[in-house]
Amino acid sequence: MAKKKDSSGGLMSSAGLMRYFDTEETSITISPKTIMIFSVFIGILVIALHIYFKSGTA
Amino acid sequence: MSNGEYGFKDRLAPILQRFPAVERPAIHVHFKRKLGWTIAVLILYFVLSNVPLFGLSPDSIDLFAQYRAFFAGASGSLLLLGIGPIVTASIVLQLLVGADIIKLDLSNPRDQAIFQGGQKFLVLVMIVLTTLPQMVGANPYIKPDLGLAASMGVDPSVLWWALFIQIFIGGVLIMFLDEIVSKWGIGSGVGLFIVAGVAQALVTGVFNWQLDQGMPIGIIPRWIWIAQNMGASELLSGEGFRFLLISGGVLALITTIIIFLLVIFFESTRVEIPLAHSAVRGARGKFPVKLIYASVLPMILVRALQANIQMVGMVLARKGNTLLGVYDAASGKPISGLMYYLNPIYSPYDWIPSLVHQNYPDIATWQIAMRLGCDLGLMVIGGMIFAVFWINTTNMGADAVAKQIQRSGMQIPGFRRDPRILERVLERYIPKVTIIGGALVGLLVVVANMLGTIGNASGTGILLAVSITYRLYEDIASEQMMEMHPMIRGLFGKE
Repeated sequence: MAKKKDSSGGLMSSAGLMRYFDTEETSITISPKTIMIFSVFIGILVIALHIYFKSGTA
Repeated sequence: MSNGEYGFKDRLAPILQRFPAVERPAIHVHFKRKLGWTIAVLILYFVLSNVPLFGLSPDSIDLFAQYRAFFAGASGSLLLLGIGPIVTASIVLQLLVGADIIKLDLSNPRDQAIFQGGQKFLVLVMIVLTTLPQMVGANPYIKPDLGLAASMGVDPSVLWWALFIQIFIGGVLIMFLDEIVSKWGIGSGVGLFIVAGVAQALVTGVFNWQLDQGMPIGIIPRWIWIAQNMGASELLSGEGFRFLLISGGVLALITTIIIFLLVIFFESTRVEIPLAHSAVRGARGKFPVKLIYASVLPMILVRALQANIQMVGMVLARKGNTLLGVYDAASGKPISGLMYYLNPIYSPYDWIPSLVHQNYPDIATWQIAMRLGCDLGLMVIGGMIFAVFWINTTNMGADAVAKQIQRSGMQIPGFRRDPRILERVLERYIPKVTIIGGALVGLLVVVANMLGTIGNASGTGILLAVSITYRLYEDIASEQMMEMHPMIRGLFGKE
């Protein structure tokens, strides 16, 4: 029964600025791994640009 | 509901529903995996906030400098915008939905989808709206490195676009990283980034040995410096005591600790409404109405509103329009006009008359008092208003909570099992507690900023960090409870 208490209380404690609901997802979904890999790729790309053009700050 | 409203929603729905979203876990994610995702996102966040933007001129200015502690991100990095666009988008959404300008029933899946798409669309708009004003004009804040453009043999406009695209991608990545944490991790990404930013500010505020005006910045190296360079008789005089309190960081340390304790005290102060299950005898629970029921997140919205007002003033002043206020070129702070009064108080140097006059002898004492009054009024009233909007958009109002409790099969012992009865009981506490809590947090933030905090983490920053961490702890506790159930089931011979 403790679990029931949590589901009413837990709902609000974790609310962030953005809200995501359980229902009705969009047709386009991305897996979290894809986003992580893409982020790392972008980071590496920008650092590579710095090194290639020797802009110094990297 | 009128026909027009249906038409409006129907037209928007297909566009807003098409926004890409992070996949939702199909099965229960184990606590250890959740922790793994959260830590992975945190590491990625730190890495990205240390990747400098390609093509950025070294004499660019960080417009968000004063708000860094809770806007997260890092100056001149891929994550230049931090959570700024998310916060600003949230303000707009709170105003539209929380104040019932756009009527959305957030328990209805269709409206949920519209809300969800709408907030992402707004974040994208805000990424552009907060980046462009910093990049256009005769002397923009963010400018391309002309030397680099020349050595690459391209037009500076190429680098301008490269910068814009990098900042845009950084903003979008923050948005998706937040979604990953919300769906696969613990708490929310925004909360995580705020805590990370504030924690970083606190650590540097304590240990940083780099010099600022001849004294180390961190309070521990600073105390060592004071002990080595100043005599006891010098420190024990009235003047020396004040020096120790303000410049020595003693006051900041005390304030930081007091806010820390106060937030925990507020978080644990609550009205508990007893609940009992209607069918299962002996199954009891309670619904807590915390003193800061609406959480401290609405505070960040008020602060962001102030930041955005300042941004408008700064951009205008830079263009030579001083209608709203004049800015000091060296510090980037407003020194007169409307913007001076609307600028929040950050430290004792902003309101103790003798300290203000050290830097700005022209500002009269009544002006300082008026600025303090404006800040206090804005934070207390703003805190109350946004707290009320917040509970409306997060389904924490008396009616929504009553429905949730009803659905879980619980009731208040001694009352008829009816959501309307529940609502009437909750209505006694929730609106009052929300408003008192909002005002209290607003007051606390201003007082904390007046006294100064360690590492300039700001009152808002520390308040947010402590409260988010506390709720994260509660989340982890309830996560672990859920992990316990299969084990308990296992004890009884079931899988």
